Amino acid sequence: MESVFYSRFERHAHGEGLKGQSTHYCSGCGHGLVHKYLADAIDELGVQDRTIAISPVGCAVFMYYYLDVGNSQAAHGRAPAVALGHKVANPDSVVVSYQGDGDLASIGLAEIIQAAQMGIPLSIIFVNNAIYGMTGGQMAPTTLMEQRTTTTPTGRSRITGEPMRMAETIGQLNGPVYVERVALFDNKQRVRARKAIKKAIRVQVENRGLGFVEVLSECPTHLHMSPQDAEQWVKQNMVPVFPLGVKKDLDVEPWFELDNPSFNPQDVATVIGSSSERSDKIVEQFPSHIDAEDVSIKFAGAGGDGAQTIAMLTTRTAIKAGYDSTHIPSYGPESRGGTSYADVHISTTEVLSPASPKPHVLVVFNPQSLEKFGPTVRADGIVLYDSTVIQQPPTLDSSIATYGIPFTQIAVDLGKAMVKNTVALGATVAATKIFPVERFVATMEEALQNNCALLPINREAFSRGMEAFADLAQT
Amino acid sequence: MVTARTDKKARPKPFLFPQFCKACGRCIEACPKNCIHMGHDIDPLSGLTPVVVDLEGCNGCGLCIDACPEPYGLMPAEGAIDMSLMDPATLFGPRQTTAPKPEPIPDTQVPLPDFEPMILKGTHAAAIGAILAGCRHVFGYPITPSTEGAELMAKLLPQLDGVFVQAVSEVATVNIMYGCGGAGLRCATFTSSPGFSLMLEGISYMIGAELPGVFFNIMRGGPGLGNIGPEQGDIKLLCRGLGHGNTHAIVLAPSTPQEMLDLTMLAFDLSFEYRNPVVVAADGYLGQMTGRVKLPKTLTQPGIPEWAVYGDRMHRGNLITSIYIIEADLEIHNLRILEKYDRMIKTEQRADCFRCEDADWLIVACNTPARMAKGAVQELRDQGIKAGLFRPISLWPFPIRHLTPLLDRARGLIVVEAGPGQLEDEVRLALSHAGVMSSPPIEQVRRYGGMLPQQQEIVDKVSALAEA
Repeated sequence: MESVFYSRFERHAHGEGLKGQSTHYCSGCGHGLVHKYLADAIDELGVQDRTIAISPVGCAVFMYYYLDVGNSQAAHGRAPAVALGHKVANPDSVVVSYQGDGDLASIGLAEIIQAAQMGIPLSIIFVNNAIYGMTGGQMAPTTLMEQRTTTTPTGRSRITGEPMRMAETIGQLNGPVYVERVALFDNKQRVRARKAIKKAIRVQVENRGLGFVEVLSECPTHLHMSPQDAEQWVKQNMVPVFPLGVKKDLDVEPWFELDNPSFNPQDVATVIGSSSERSDKIVEQFPSHIDAEDVSIKFAGAGGDGAQTIAMLTTRTAIKAGYDSTHIPSYGPESRGGTSYADVHISTTEVLSPASPKPHVLVVFNPQSLEKFGPTVRADGIVLYDSTVIQQPPTLDSSIATYGIPFTQIAVDLGKAMVKNTVALGATVAATKIFPVERFVATMEEALQNNCALLPINREAFSRGMEAFADLAQT
Repeated sequence: MVTARTDKKARPKPFLFPQFCKACGRCIEACPKNCIHMGHDIDPLSGLTPVVVDLEGCNGCGLCIDACPEPYGLMPAEGAIDMSLMDPATLFGPRQTTAPKPEPIPDTQVPLPDFEPMILKGTHAAAIGAILAGCRHVFGYPITPSTEGAELMAKLLPQLDGVFVQAVSEVATVNIMYGCGGAGLRCATFTSSPGFSLMLEGISYMIGAELPGVFFNIMRGGPGLGNIGPEQGDIKLLCRGLGHGNTHAIVLAPSTPQEMLDLTMLAFDLSFEYRNPVVVAADGYLGQMTGRVKLPKTLTQPGIPEWAVYGDRMHRGNLITSIYIIEADLEIHNLRILEKYDRMIKTEQRADCFRCEDADWLIVACNTPARMAKGAVQELRDQGIKAGLFRPISLWPFPIRHLTPLLDRARGLIVVEAGPGQLEDEVRLALSHAGVMSSPPIEQVRRYGGMLPQQQEIVDKVSALAEA
């Protein structure tokens, strides 16, 4: 006979326990009831094949012994994260995350809050019995004030904080569509609990959202009570602290849908931005007038100066020209305004060390950078600096050609201070003759293809930079 | 009739196999007609005193059935009672699912056109490698210097109907991967040292539950918050400390953006082949480094392995778990994992040797420091010093098989690393395990805290050794 419960429970594979069809739960424990309502809901909704049950850590760690569904067993507190992983892997799966109070309301708070706030359809079953059962009766975040546990031997006091009300906490988040707290202590509560568990799964099956059911449950063993007394204890002591009822119930249209991922090579090519191999590849002359094998350049300034952008353009140009090239940024922790250096290497065969501790060419945007890196430039090297902000350049080795060009002033005159880096790049290309100008312009056009409005001013800035260098070189 | 669901219309009366009753008595208070009483006779099978049901006054309301916590406790007495529950032969043994036996859905390789090489930074090359390897699910928590990889995935994956989820923490990240990998899909995360520390618990669970997943650890300066500079200070963690218990994972160490892509694709294959996480370990410098990257000839369209918990009929009988409550079972599980590690050690050692064949001085380095080391080898050769670079590509398993044949000739090993000797420890351990009794002397060039060993430092060190 088909059933959501296995016909026998594997824990008895070694012949242990009571019987092959008994649960491992203590007499009077609420977990068995919740399992039954869950199994019935899965059965009644016809989703047994699609269901994945996430077993938690705690007494329900062996939930997978019982439910004949896809089973995944999670680390302590992480069941909602595991559930999320399963759900996004297969949006058609029906994922039930099942947790106790230590698991969900203590170690796993971050995971449950995130899953709940995301609101992706999941069914969360939260069994609250006000104590850690499996580890032997320690204080849970839901333990009542003055309740004695093995870690609150004289009763929970104020210093340990007050009980966590999870249904209310989850209910005030935007994500979930349905949140209810139910109990198991009498017939009426059990009917409600059964209905609530089914509803929490139905909102998922219907792609409407996340359902969360908190079940106040009995742990007669660690309450040191008979099952009947435990039921009364929950009714009289827990319910006043954890009020029963619906905390949230939104009428939401089905919304959750994920298409199957694409593995179509054309789609992939478009998305990653690759283009088919060109046959008209032209290898440019290597700039061996700078170095026979490996040209090293450093661009340096403050964050926002645009050093990284022109370093990247240089690397792209070099690779398109047929050589190996690397770009390495180095910047301070600030998003803007900190130091920002870029090291570029261009090599005939393979860039070895990508750092530029001794560059052939240095391009700087501020006095600090010039002071710091000027002395590291190799003999016969080239230094270009922004003379708008650097009035008095330091004295460098006499073999080094030093050019002060007002990058910023030229850019401001063009109406956009931002393009000072393009001015600098134009000047650099003119000063170094590293690769033909058209190569750089082509790279720039490609880089700005999605931002065409910026292209004319950048072209202009590049030319002005070249002209400024030419003027300077003439004098 | 195996579920205890009550068909209200039928109003069947309850039935109980006494040995399944734990005598909790919930049914007693549930019954409005007082038909159920606590028994006095000890059941010989359970050793408990089951309740006694007196059907005389029963009107079949079913409330007792709804109150019974045992799946095979009180059940409606409709139709034939399943007497198999009484059959001793059915009492013990493995789970018997009614789901079909799952078959693997194999991966397929889809040809790609010839593409121009791309110009990519290391983290982006890894991201694109992941896409080409068939990964459509990436989870992560932002941490410099790994964020660009996650950012690119967040941008690209939705365009391929994939999913990027920014998790609440690295702890959540690794567990979302546990779920997605458990579903049999290819998933990955980008993180950096402090974030990787947080993932260790989950990685141990993934290893225990034998789940695939690819971790990009773009290592940064430590300990503690350290800085965002490049370091190799996680090698110990990666090779010797992947969380609690008997854990190992293949650790691949790229040194170029091209290898970031190539080794990423390899990482996914290995992760599924061994059902084990794989780490691609780069340093912060390499993550940021832009270079030329050639694309492969094919992309992978992944299937679904037979062991997955995918959430469909085919895979319903599967279980993902790392708990083996019986010690003897956990020992067997560990032996199986150890056998898997042995296979990795035998077949997954990878190294790149540059001018090693006649080298007197073997420089050992990986990641970005290997590039400085390669430059140093060139420079030393120009000076007439026979240096070579031994570059482990798999840090675990350490490619000792590739190293030992070079040792006879070598006058010294120089381990170059951005960190406190963790790569050297791996070298020494591997030599010891391989029974190499007299290795050449081991020297070091080390930098710390986000500083990288420079070519000149390596040249100076080896020159000094050669002159001594």
